[in-house]
Amino acid sequence: MAFSCEVEVAAGVAKITLQGELDASVAGQFKSAVEQAAAERPQKLVLFLRELEFMASAGLRVLIFAKQKMGADVAIHVVGASGPVLRTLEMSGFHHSVYISDTFEG
Amino acid sequence: MEPLSLPATLDALGEIGRYVKSAAAAAGLDRDAAYSLRLAVDELATNIITHGYEEAGISGHITVAAACSPQALRVTLEDRGRAFDPRQARMPDEADLARPLEERQVGGLGIFLALRGVDGFEYSSEGGVNRSILTVRRPAGS
Repeated sequence: MAFSCEVEVAAGVAKITLQGELDASVAGQFKSAVEQAAAERPQKLVLFLRELEFMASAGLRVLIFAKQKMGADVAIHVVGASGPVLRTLEMSGFHHSVYISDTFEG
Repeated sequence: MEPLSLPATLDALGEIGRYVKSAAAAAGLDRDAAYSLRLAVDELATNIITHGYEEAGISGHITVAAACSPQALRVTLEDRGRAFDPRQARMPDEADLARPLEERQVGGLGIFLALRGVDGFEYSSEGGVNRSILTVRRPAGS
């Protein structure tokens, strides 16, 4: 499935929804979405990954970029990641730095 | 399966992914093993295209070939870019992986995930041809 990425920022919360397959050829789109969200100076970044079927390390690098760009005090939430995507986050130690949940309220 | 040869640009990744997924399905790999293999091939192909070709100012092709034996599925990547043995890369250690994201270095994660996701990995570079071979054991009875 083709990759798509949507950004929405409201009330200090940036929401990015990722769908399809995130490899190095499309990671730039995700990075642009993070830059767009960062410009609004959100207090929280929420990534909706339920429809994300594949994520390579290029996607992980954008998460590192997001944390470094937005600042350590901006919490990153990862919502609805599927089994293999979640496993990649855990193998890479990212579960120490982001909040992982199945659903997001608020 | 017939080898697949594509111009070495990042646009090749999608087609390489589909090729590996169908090879994994034909070999009877379960969902997790199939995903790990696809991720491993994607990471190594990304490195070959980015570092072996684009950053080196070389253009050429990348070839992926799958071969199945009763015991294992073997995926071979071949290229004629700048040689690089992924096993020589600096990979994150436990301390790096525990570090908060704001202190992370970006390099090394892809190869780390690739090599962790397969049962065997071999690399050679001879006569200008670089070859990475990834092996995944097949489940008994498939």
